[in-house]
Amino acid sequence: MSIAFSDDLAQKVRDGWIPAHIYNDAEVFDTERRRIFGRSWQFLAHASEIPQPGDYVVRRILDDSFVVARGEDGAIRVLFNMCLHRGMQLCRSEMGNASHFRCPYHGWTYKNDGRLVGVPFHAEAYGGDRGLQREEHQMLPAPAVEVFNGLVFASLNPDVEPLLDYLGGAADYLSYYLAPSPGGRQVLGPQRWRAGWNWKIAAENFCGDSYHTPHTHASMLEIDLTPQIRGGQRKAGGTYQAGRGFGATFGIGDGSLETKLAAIGYPEHAVANRARHWPESIKSLIVDNGHLPSSMTLFPNLSFLHLWVTIDDEGTAVPMTTMRLWQPVSESETEVFSWFVVDADATDEFKDLSHRAYLMTFGSSGMFEQDDMENWLSLTRTAKGTMARSLVLNSRMGLLHNNDSLREPLASYKGPGRVMQGFTEHNQRDWLNLWLDCMQADDPATPTTRSEA
Amino acid sequence: MSAMANHAGIDLRAVVDQGRPLSYGDPAHQAASQFLVNEAHLLDGRKFTSWLNLLAPDIEYRIPIRVTAVGSSRTDDILDMEHYAENFYSLRKRVERLGTEHAWAEDPPSRTRRFITNIRTFAAPEDGDVVVESYILLYRSRGDQLSTAVLAGVRTDLLRDVTTEECRLARRLVILDDSVLNTQNLAVFF
Repeated sequence: MSIAFSDDLAQKVRDGWIPAHIYNDAEVFDTERRRIFGRSWQFLAHASEIPQPGDYVVRRILDDSFVVARGEDGAIRVLFNMCLHRGMQLCRSEMGNASHFRCPYHGWTYKNDGRLVGVPFHAEAYGGDRGLQREEHQMLPAPAVEVFNGLVFASLNPDVEPLLDYLGGAADYLSYYLAPSPGGRQVLGPQRWRAGWNWKIAAENFCGDSYHTPHTHASMLEIDLTPQIRGGQRKAGGTYQAGRGFGATFGIGDGSLETKLAAIGYPEHAVANRARHWPESIKSLIVDNGHLPSSMTLFPNLSFLHLWVTIDDEGTAVPMTTMRLWQPVSESETEVFSWFVVDADATDEFKDLSHRAYLMTFGSSGMFEQDDMENWLSLTRTAKGTMARSLVLNSRMGLLHNNDSLREPLASYKGPGRVMQGFTEHNQRDWLNLWLDCMQADDPATPTTRSEA
Repeated sequence: MSAMANHAGIDLRAVVDQGRPLSYGDPAHQAASQFLVNEAHLLDGRKFTSWLNLLAPDIEYRIPIRVTAVGSSRTDDILDMEHYAENFYSLRKRVERLGTEHAWAEDPPSRTRRFITNIRTFAAPEDGDVVVESYILLYRSRGDQLSTAVLAGVRTDLLRDVTTEECRLARRLVILDDSVLNTQNLAVFF
């Protein structure tokens, strides 16, 4: 089944009037399954999670389980986690190190690059090569795999566009979050938890909902943990959109890149690395426009966040970055995979402090994240009923009655895409427009890869 | 790397794995048992400020994540990542936050019940200290919703000056049994 949006309704959505039921509707989710998650690039793992040959993690794209494995040749492969014989799940752990994967059912054995190398009783059961040529069989690879800044993406869609085309201008922002130094970043985690809310709410929140910060997270200001979330400073920030990336910024005032980064707790070598390695567009956004990116959602469901936290009574500020995948389980349940992200070449002391800054604010116990989860749960519950089917939500911030923009994009911004000053829901609307484009398009082609030679 | 990397100290699990439990009648065992039950009473009663008074100023409070791992280089199923890796400052901030009017995760307040069982006590290297292992089952109900959370784990604590009025919790390591937590957040203490 597929949900059908009439042209009228689609136009409403594009104008910022959102049917409330899309946040808890089985039919909508069933369509998303094919047209969003079956079409887009999906994040699976970070290269630093599998640093050694033989390392692997097991991850999903919705219901499809994949082994993300580094082979003896150092290459990363994404292999469908199903034995070619009777369909048993091959790797049942979350992670490990193995040269081979052996099926627990009948013992078919694969090398960690996916090739079938062992079949018990090969001669007796199959007549050897006359009945089954092992070298002609390999674990089914994901239809498309690409790596960018350590992020391993796969797609169920064999016709998906090249990753760099898909990212567009978002690539610069991904480099801001993930490539600030020659050593790159390492990730720790993920913390995993699941709860009863719809994945779109989180994706949209990280798109640029700086409007919720002063209210939802008022307690953080009251206990002096993150002074930058004050309404004024949020207002001085804004939002950015570039390619399939959508995010918010903090207003960070005047000053050099070095002064600004030192003020939020980056050690000298981290500042120097950033000055050298960040894209020019990002440095200009920070220095010339006074905007420091604070969050981003890469369409559809991968998000990033960067802020700084007061980690002691002396007022020491320490920055932290997190990356999270909002993995839908159903229309009303989402599993969060949340990683802590830090420069691989940072000192142990900095890693330790930044790690603490992360745990205090985000992740399963994070004081910011706790309150978001609470809100999203209530929203999802309320979207389930009959009344929600006749309610369209007002997501029109930044638009006047005649649909003109309240403010124009920042003319002085030199990077890809668009930066808007202050509170606005331009990004949430544009993210939802992308979603709608996918939902209105035909189902993507079925993957054509087969295990037969 | 771990959030505890900079903190030397005794290996709590080694004490439990290699030591011999104190007898049930040992005053230190009885004092430790009473401490844990009283602590649960304070937390279930939301007397968080009183709970802070039970903590040593140099407390290390840690709840690592669990993973299901196999393979030669990955035999340890507890990674260098935690749900909590707290010191006194961050625990105090969490308590301060719960005291504001904007801690939505606990508004309305959870009804919690902490069941503390299977207590085993071991002599610690420092005189007057004990290492205590206990099981915890935390039941958390919220509002009129049926999304009740039940979380189970084993705690290993270091209690200082256990038989005196000055008894304080100095270390806590909580190993939860879930790799994927079936709850919206951890806005509660174990």
